[in-house]
Amino acid sequence: MSFRRKLLLLFTLTVVVAVAAVAWTVSVITQRAFEQSEQERTQALVAQFHREFNRRGQEVATRVEAIAGSEAAMRMALDLSRQPGNAGAYVNEAASEAKPHELDFLELADAGGSIISSAQWPAKFGYKEPLLTKAGQAPSSNAFLKREDLPNGTALGLFAVRPIRVSDRPLYVIGGQRLDQEFLASLELPAGTRAMLYTAGGGTYSPGALVDAAGPVRQAEKLQSLVEQVQATGAEQSGVVSWSSDSADSENVDAIPLKSEQGELLGMLLVGNSRRALVEVEARIRSASLLVAVLALVVAILLSSWMAARVTRPVEQLAEAAREVAAGNWQAQAHVDASHELNEMAEAFNRMTRELTEQRERLVQAERVAAWRELARRLAHELKNPLFPLQITVENLLKAREHGGEQFDEVFRESASTLLAEIANLKAIVGRFSEFSRMPQPQLQAVDINELVRNVLQVHQAQLSAEGKPAIAAELKLDDKLGKVAADPELLHRALANLVLNAIDAMPRGGTLTLRTRAGADNFVIEVSDTGSGLSKEECDRLFTPYYTTKEHGTGLGLAIAQSVVSDHHGRIAVKSAPGQGTTFAIELPRHREDAAQFSAQTG
Amino acid sequence: MRRIAWLLLAVNSVLALAGAAEVRPHYGGTLRIMVREAPVSLDPARLSAAQGTRIFPLIFEGLTRFDTHGRLQPQLATRWQGDSSNQHWEVWLRTGAKFHDGTPLTAEAVATSLRAANPAWAVSADGDSVVIETAAPDVELPAELALPRNGITHRAGNKVVGTGPFAVSDWQPGKSLALAANEDYWEGRPFADSVLVTLGQNWRQQIVALELGKADVVEAAPEQARRLSSAGRTIVESPPDEVVALVFTRSTQSEDEVRVRQALSAAIDRVSIVNVLLQGQGESSQTVLPNWMTGYAMLFGQEGEKAENARVSGSAGTMTLSYDASDPTNQLIAERVALNARDAGIRVQAVASPANADLVLARIGLASAQPQLALQVAAGAAGLPAPQFQGTSPEELYGREKEMLQSGRIIPLAHVPEATALGPGVNGWHADLAGGWHLADVWLGSTP
Repeated sequence: MSFRRKLLLLFTLTVVVAVAAVAWTVSVITQRAFEQSEQERTQALVAQFHREFNRRGQEVATRVEAIAGSEAAMRMALDLSRQPGNAGAYVNEAASEAKPHELDFLELADAGGSIISSAQWPAKFGYKEPLLTKAGQAPSSNAFLKREDLPNGTALGLFAVRPIRVSDRPLYVIGGQRLDQEFLASLELPAGTRAMLYTAGGGTYSPGALVDAAGPVRQAEKLQSLVEQVQATGAEQSGVVSWSSDSADSENVDAIPLKSEQGELLGMLLVGNSRRALVEVEARIRSASLLVAVLALVVAILLSSWMAARVTRPVEQLAEAAREVAAGNWQAQAHVDASHELNEMAEAFNRMTRELTEQRERLVQAERVAAWRELARRLAHELKNPLFPLQITVENLLKAREHGGEQFDEVFRESASTLLAEIANLKAIVGRFSEFSRMPQPQLQAVDINELVRNVLQVHQAQLSAEGKPAIAAELKLDDKLGKVAADPELLHRALANLVLNAIDAMPRGGTLTLRTRAGADNFVIEVSDTGSGLSKEECDRLFTPYYTTKEHGTGLGLAIAQSVVSDHHGRIAVKSAPGQGTTFAIELPRHREDAAQFSAQTG
Repeated sequence: MRRIAWLLLAVNSVLALAGAAEVRPHYGGTLRIMVREAPVSLDPARLSAAQGTRIFPLIFEGLTRFDTHGRLQPQLATRWQGDSSNQHWEVWLRTGAKFHDGTPLTAEAVATSLRAANPAWAVSADGDSVVIETAAPDVELPAELALPRNGITHRAGNKVVGTGPFAVSDWQPGKSLALAANEDYWEGRPFADSVLVTLGQNWRQQIVALELGKADVVEAAPEQARRLSSAGRTIVESPPDEVVALVFTRSTQSEDEVRVRQALSAAIDRVSIVNVLLQGQGESSQTVLPNWMTGYAMLFGQEGEKAENARVSGSAGTMTLSYDASDPTNQLIAERVALNARDAGIRVQAVASPANADLVLARIGLASAQPQLALQVAAGAAGLPAPQFQGTSPEELYGREKEMLQSGRIIPLAHVPEATALGPGVNGWHADLAGGWHLADVWLGSTP
């Protein structure tokens, strides 16, 4: 991944993370604000319910008071005070009084707590009313919650008790209004809010006992947990109830225990507050955040691209300059129009290339001087060897001429022969130098490498088994599947011959010469191995330097010529050797011409 | 004692009426009456033994009848004689009686009529008498002949006519019945020229009609009798001749069921039902027949003797108790029974619909002052097998009634009287002990 892309990615990620963090923070803060608002709203609603309860309780108490103070009630009380056994005549009294006073429950009971008349359960006359039979406990003057037994079950109601006092044994009027779905329907609730009533009190959860203003609550089992929490703690509890997979279809439900005056749990009032508005606002915030994030992402990409381009352009210019330098253009300069640091970097780069160029020129100059010195030394050495015999021979001729006679002729013949030999030697030296300077360009053609290797070995076969020298064994390990390669056969032959001659020279005590060919992944390899004394690492490093030789009479040009030939074929030559372990030269030639470019840099 | 008290009450009521109307009886006028029953046919043969006590005797007469003292008297018969087996009865007929269409009453007509109403009887005419043979001994046969269903009819085409004091002038089945005085009535023309009967009216509708002056004679709920009486209305009450009872629709299937029914019977607060719901009109009872009829009711236990083990342990399921919703008192009684049952651990649900109920709150008119026949009629009305009697001994009657109660099919609660409220112009009122009205003697006049 490029530096620019990395920068782009980094900038973009930074912006996205920042936007996401902001959106999340806004969402959380908003949610908390809404939840607090919902909580306050629910509390207000609950307070309203309490007020409504109190108001209804007052209403019930007023109506019961009205019945207790009515003329009919007083007359009945008077009659019963005179004729207590006449209670049966009033068995329907409560039913006839309850309706006009809009009471769902109405009972008339005597001082002993026996029911004289019951509107809600007319057949219950004669039974005891528990409210009036608790020892030492006077009926409350306030309205209170009570569970009332009915023929077909029980019901919750708001009750009030008032006495009718016409004698020392009062009668009691116990009236109430039912807490049911009609009661819930009569409540004025804000939009999105509903009230539910659980009338079963403690014990096992009964979904059928849960009603709202519309009737039985659907999916009432989802409120079981909340109801059971209230049953367990006896205190108000709240929770979120999801009615479907749609998160907007959920409610904050506050469950308020409804207790008797004695603290017995009679039922619960559940106030449900729809979370739809909250969820929709949250969804809108999420959508807005997402939109902002997308916009920010686009802006971030654009800005990041601009910033990355601004940051990386000088770097790329530096990299381009570096590539030019690497390609050999030592005059390449980085032209950077950037910030101070990058300008300094570019100037440092330019200074570096200038210094490198100067140092290279100095190095080349030094190497050139060294080469000339080496050449002069080599020439002096090469020429001094033949010159010294020439000088001796000529001095011998002069001495023989002075002595004259028959010895002169003989000396002359020997001297002439020596002179000719040394002159020929000089010519050979001059010829090799001339040949190195005139290295031709390769003329490529399809060459069978294995055939070429066999020819080279055949040419030098005689030298392997020369008389008076230890024999050298030759081994050919050729890859028969090797194909042909584009090469100049004569130049390649000469390079390979140099390696073979070096190997022979490396084994004065005999040994084994191995010629091996093989196919690499992208190249052909020719290896020439000897079992000689091997080379040190320093020798290996300098081996291909022109005029460097480890032999006493070598020119130091053989391996230089071989390297030159291989390089001209876009190949590579390498040596692997260690003292006492022989030496192996490996020539690698590219299979295809286009691949040869890969080797050129390595061999250059 | 109780029987005597009721008789005195009835006599006093009549005397009070007579005293109140210190004017001579006179003919004319239309007597407007209302009743709860709503027959759709005027054929007595289609009646059950307990039906038709109010309307049918106005049109059709039996061979016998009960007088206001509960004694069996001849009506279209002059005398009767049974053999020692009580299976062969001969009844001699009154002469001079005619059907409404002028056809004279003959032994053949009587035999035909009785055969239609009683297919099990072998009835034949024998001169001026009819011979009735039954498959089993039937000591109550003379009393049975007094039942409305054994009223003597003569069929002329689709019309069924009788010999009674009134003849049908208009008939709207189930709605109304117009009767005209039978000028040729063998016992003398009735005082009223006509009687207009409105059928199928509940107690409330009847009382309202009486209050508005739209009816002269109406039936009154016993529990309303005291209030109406204190309001100045003339109330005539019969002895308690209607039994209020719980009737199970099927027999007991297990010992547990027997125990549940016994516990239910023991749990019911009958005294409260009578004193409060029936406003003291009637008497609590654990027998089918009232004590004034038998004298042995105390042998079946007294109210308040609740068994110590009356409470049922475990679940016996919920029993449904149906009641006739046209009478609010029935609903109260049913709910009171359910409440008492709950105290005994028995779940009873009172429902207005009679369909598929486990037990029914029934009011069964005893139809006859003759106890054996009354017990048979009550058994028939409750859907129970009719007890068979070999004689008229109280021991046998006690035994049959005890068997009926031990069957667990019926739990008596109370006996209530039948109350009749009369309008201000009604005079000469007579009623028999079985609740029958003798309208032929009633005359209309202004209130003194």
